[in-house]
Amino acid sequence: MRVIRERWNPLALLCLLSFLVTACGELNVPSGIVYCSEGNPETFNPQLITSGTTIDASSNQLYNRLIDYNDDSSDYSAALATDWAVSDDGLQYRFTLRQDVQFHYNNLFSPSRNFNADDVIFSFARIINTEHPYHLVSRTGYPFFQSIDFANLVSKIEKINDYEVVFHLANKDASFLSNLATDFAVILSAEYAAQQLAAGTPENIDYFAIGTGPFYLAEYAKNEYIRFKRNQYYWGEQAKIDLLVFDITRKSEARLAKIITRDCQVSALPKANELAVINKHKHLELRTKPGLNVAFWAFNTQKPPLDDVRVRHALAHAVDKQNILNVVYHDTAVAASGMLPPASWAYTETEDAKHYDPEEAKRLLKEAGVTNLSFDIWAMPVVRIYNPNALKTAELIQADLANIGVTVNIVSYDWSVFTQKLISSEYDSVLIGWNADNTDPDNFFTPLLSCSALESNNNRSRWCSTELDTLLSQAKETLSKPERKRLYKQAEKIIHEQVPLVNIAHAQKLLLKNTNVSIKNVNPYGGMSFSGVELIKQEVQP
Amino acid sequence: MWRYLIRRLNLFIATSIVMMAVLFFATGMFPVEKGYALTGIQFPTEEQQVQTVEDYKLDKNQFSQFYAYVTQRLSGNLGISVNSQQDVAEELSAVLPASFELSLFAGCIAVFFGVPLGVLASLSSSKPVQRSILAITLTGYSIPVFWLGLTLALWFGVQLEWLPISGQINLLYEIEPVTRIMLIDTLLSESSYSMSAFKDALLHIILPAVTLAVLPFTVVIRITRQAMVTVMTQTYIRAAEARGLSTYRILIRHALPNALIPVLKAFGLMLGSFASYGIIVEVIFAWPGVGSWLINAIYQRDYTVIQAGILSVSLLIIFLSIMIELLHTTINPINRKELYAD
Repeated sequence: MRVIRERWNPLALLCLLSFLVTACGELNVPSGIVYCSEGNPETFNPQLITSGTTIDASSNQLYNRLIDYNDDSSDYSAALATDWAVSDDGLQYRFTLRQDVQFHYNNLFSPSRNFNADDVIFSFARIINTEHPYHLVSRTGYPFFQSIDFANLVSKIEKINDYEVVFHLANKDASFLSNLATDFAVILSAEYAAQQLAAGTPENIDYFAIGTGPFYLAEYAKNEYIRFKRNQYYWGEQAKIDLLVFDITRKSEARLAKIITRDCQVSALPKANELAVINKHKHLELRTKPGLNVAFWAFNTQKPPLDDVRVRHALAHAVDKQNILNVVYHDTAVAASGMLPPASWAYTETEDAKHYDPEEAKRLLKEAGVTNLSFDIWAMPVVRIYNPNALKTAELIQADLANIGVTVNIVSYDWSVFTQKLISSEYDSVLIGWNADNTDPDNFFTPLLSCSALESNNNRSRWCSTELDTLLSQAKETLSKPERKRLYKQAEKIIHEQVPLVNIAHAQKLLLKNTNVSIKNVNPYGGMSFSGVELIKQEVQP
Repeated sequence: MWRYLIRRLNLFIATSIVMMAVLFFATGMFPVEKGYALTGIQFPTEEQQVQTVEDYKLDKNQFSQFYAYVTQRLSGNLGISVNSQQDVAEELSAVLPASFELSLFAGCIAVFFGVPLGVLASLSSSKPVQRSILAITLTGYSIPVFWLGLTLALWFGVQLEWLPISGQINLLYEIEPVTRIMLIDTLLSESSYSMSAFKDALLHIILPAVTLAVLPFTVVIRITRQAMVTVMTQTYIRAAEARGLSTYRILIRHALPNALIPVLKAFGLMLGSFASYGIIVEVIFAWPGVGSWLINAIYQRDYTVIQAGILSVSLLIIFLSIMIELLHTTINPINRKELYAD
């Protein structure tokens, strides 16, 4: 007895040691990627929302669209539609659908048939047809489709046969294909919808999502993680990783810490001021891609003294954009010379007509006969991709304008109050911006500076010109790209002359990743796609 | 003996009732409708409203309400979470094991390293060594845990990249929850990644556990040293020495068991601050336990979860303190007469 007792201690130690030795064997990690995302998705159906967080977690992972943008976003490529044709009058779009495309399955549903025209009709009828049993299942409506007035644009969707559909439009729209290629226009399963409707739980189709995409939804734990797995029956090129996990981490610093300690391989929305830390770690890499967005300083052109175009010209010359790029964007953005960012296909390189020239500004002010000018700048209180710090931007502008003898008062409210007050248009000028919904250049003009935008209170300059409106509607009805490009150039010129706003910068889309992850391209617009993401084998470190 | 046990049981029940009364009173003061604060259902249907009034006796006086509240809570009805709309009891059973894992691990670190170091400290007769041990433990004892946690995370996580600093495990490992204690679940898992998952979980627990262990560790060293010094001067030790027993035997078999009794008592006294340290550590290292669950609930005004978090943590502390006291009385020969005395 005593012998056993006395030997027990060394024996236990030996056991423990051997245990530790086995534990120190080579790590056998599942092939997958953890993406530190910034928040919970509201749903898994991108038709119902516009928030980027939800788009990232659903659109490109779980679903496909009829057509996609090709790699440089200049043209379209086949997705669920293999071929498409536009009628001569531009009112009918005929799509030939891909065959042998399987939907995912989960514990609620296993598909009995492959993808066909019924699924296309269901996916869009749900949005258009207010009588559709699924139309009101969405409590949030269909914001993207409402903003482009999709229900009135598409008069009918006709099924020719199982693999052919025709969209009949009420009027010509050059941006129609572009809208079908957005992250929002995904194809759902009509069979799953019918089954869930019969079971009395129609809302399930938006949460326990079934799509045709490269990954299927395996598990979602709110506030913690979303687990996707590779769809082995994917019609296109198979995803390179077996497992995709979204690690929901709200705080930017926490995401940075996780990617440093390798708990994440890719991280969303790094802040510009974290660049110094990122550079210190050799295994981190920052991917940048010119974004489709613009930050601007809009003047309320209905309020004196900013109703005077000479004053606006003077103010435009007084702002040192380079300094703003440096301080606010940490040189991760490009200076904006017009509305369209360089990433847009309609962009024409022009010299910035509103270069920094305080002397010129003073001269113009004198010419306008304005002295002791003083007004407010409203700075939005939140971080947006196009402007990481509007308050700082406002302070820099304040300093610049002090140089030419103009006094500026900075105003900021809480975001919800801020947007409310913007609508009542009491402001003199406001620092805000725009992030494009799609790659169509019209998206930078009509929602921001048209007369209809003035009515819907989205026109922050409260300025509109019939000349610009004619140009824009002309461009929308033109199908030829070079012609449209020319028209948008003219539109930019009008804006240059009238200065309803000063464009400040086009921010870049930033993505932080581990060097052992290869991402072919980051879309300039829209959500993340992980189907082409690959893990590169690296030398195993001892 | 029975009398003693019943007295302790009474103490447990009485303290718990007082605690629940405080909680019940506080719940009534939440700036929302009482039914909502109790059930977590913000917009109840007609039936739910009737059910709530029935369950919590909202149409009766305060005493019946309190009685109903205690009955509901103790029978496991903790309401639903305002935020996630999940059953709170279910969420609690998911987060509680993670906290246990962390505190148990931290406690083990404190004992396994603290006791031997305390014994070594008591053996040293040199004044500088004793003083420096005292100084170091005092420093450890007084370092604020949030600062320590952040500093360790910064050094070992961010700068040296040795250890992960958030969560329980890398999310790539899919571990079937069985016991919900990650270190055990990874070993039970049948996937081919089981061993690497275990190692990963082990790496994840090191920093939070070390941070949490510093307080009990320093206390254990100080008390063990003190107790050993006292015990070693007693006559039975001298008798053992006279009989020619080896120092090792005297220390381990004769002195240490007696010296550990005050250590146990100190553990009991430390429970409260240990628990609040645990909450802070969980928040710093994003450990998915009761602490971070409770703090999140406070941020998001999740009234039912706040109640459940406070209820479970305080009940546990009351229960464990009494258990430790019981244990202390049982193994302490001096107190043993108290067990039989009347």
